[in-house]
Amino acid sequence: MISFRKLFKSFGDKPVLRGVDLDVKRGEVLFIIGTSGVGKSVTIKHLVGLLRPDGGEIWLDDHRVDALDERALYDVRKKCAMVFQHATLFDSMTLVENVALPLRKHRHLGERAAEEEALRYLDMVHMRPFAHSYPAELGDGTRKRAAIARALTVGPEYVLFDEPTTGLDPVSARRIDKLIRELADGQKMTSIVVSHDLTSIFGIADRIALLYRGVVHAVGTPAEIRASGDPVVQQFIHGRSDGPMETPGF
Amino acid sequence: MIRLALEVIDKTLRGSLRWLWHGRRGTSITRGEVVKQLYQIGNRSLLFVCVTLGFLGMVLVFQTCLQVNRITGDLSQVGAEFIKILVHEFGPSLTAMMLATRVGAGIAAEIGSMVVTEQVDALRMNGVDPVDYLIVPRFLASLVMTGALTTIGVGAAILMGALTAYYSFHVNPVVFLDPSHVHLGDLATGVMKCAAYGAAVPIVAGICGLGARGGSEGVGNATTRAVISASFVVILLDFFLSGLALFTFQRGVS
Repeated sequence: MISFRKLFKSFGDKPVLRGVDLDVKRGEVLFIIGTSGVGKSVTIKHLVGLLRPDGGEIWLDDHRVDALDERALYDVRKKCAMVFQHATLFDSMTLVENVALPLRKHRHLGERAAEEEALRYLDMVHMRPFAHSYPAELGDGTRKRAAIARALTVGPEYVLFDEPTTGLDPVSARRIDKLIRELADGQKMTSIVVSHDLTSIFGIADRIALLYRGVVHAVGTPAEIRASGDPVVQQFIHGRSDGPMETPGF
Repeated sequence: MIRLALEVIDKTLRGSLRWLWHGRRGTSITRGEVVKQLYQIGNRSLLFVCVTLGFLGMVLVFQTCLQVNRITGDLSQVGAEFIKILVHEFGPSLTAMMLATRVGAGIAAEIGSMVVTEQVDALRMNGVDPVDYLIVPRFLASLVMTGALTTIGVGAAILMGALTAYYSFHVNPVVFLDPSHVHLGDLATGVMKCAAYGAAVPIVAGICGLGARGGSEGVGNATTRAVISASFVVILLDFFLSGLALFTFQRGVS
């Protein structure tokens, strides 16, 4: 289980998180939604130590992780893999080399063993035919699937997805959704997904948390969120431009 | 920023020593990456350094001969003093300034764009230390190649200086190419400066790159900051190392 307790974070004089309280249950697919710049990605990056909180606590399976040093965070990162918004495959490596990298670093496999294992993971996301292609030769959807394969190599219990369907065509986006759902149902993997994609959100989420003004404004199952009488929630899920919701820059 | 700088310096020095002692074991640095950086920093800067130092050699010799000709008319010592000052001062410093612009900008832009596109975060998630993976190979390559480029650049400057002296002032090349004024202290000063500059440029550029924030504007700012900071550090180091050399290697040598 993951718990964020009164999480605060500012960038310069701009407060982003102002006391986020959120629990993520084992095996669920939790979507964090909200307007751009509200701190969704910032929240999940705190869990794996890519950002340090100004205040508050983060608990992962009864261990406090917000104060760990970089070396101790390696274990957290084995447990919680992350798929970034832009796939972040390394341009100078082929897909199989990209996927083999964490196998060599986290699981200390030799070069040949890591590549064989990487091919198995690429097979899982139906990417084996592209194993020896470079990221620049592939489309966004295929790159994201390879990034998911790379995240899975460390055998994580939790996977953090940062806008996994942003910029993808609808078919690729639904394939990514299907993959996230399969990981939860088949391998009992817990997923935290940051997204704006309403089709994804209501298609595969077990629970949804709406972040607004730096705090969790509403949390519930898709049915509960749909039925919510809160005007901010209703404005967001129906994508209305008029309403009480404040969006930076508008 | 200061914390980042100290962390980068510490990890770069420790990572380099670990790689030199133990090879690839326990680091993220591959020999291939070091070789690639040797090529990027060394071979691809060669023409730039040679042309710049060659032209500067021509200008310096021409102006010196012009002034000496007006005062004493004896140009026999120009070549010997020119070679001496190139070895302990101009060669390393001018080469480092050239590297600060070409290599410093390249390192900061590459690392900065990796930061803003979250590739550096992805490295950390994959158990790879970004300093080990990105800065140490550039640091090692720069250490080696600053020395090599300085040697070749000094050669180019001497050659062009000798030709200028011969064609403009009829100074015999045998008289001009007189290394007798170069002492061991001058060589030691030159080597010390090459090592210091070679270490400083990639570290400063790496710190600027890792400190990049925002999008393409952040990368641009990081690149500008890298060029200015690396050049400034070269000038500062030159001042302090010249002072140090004066009281150590060059003591008693006129």
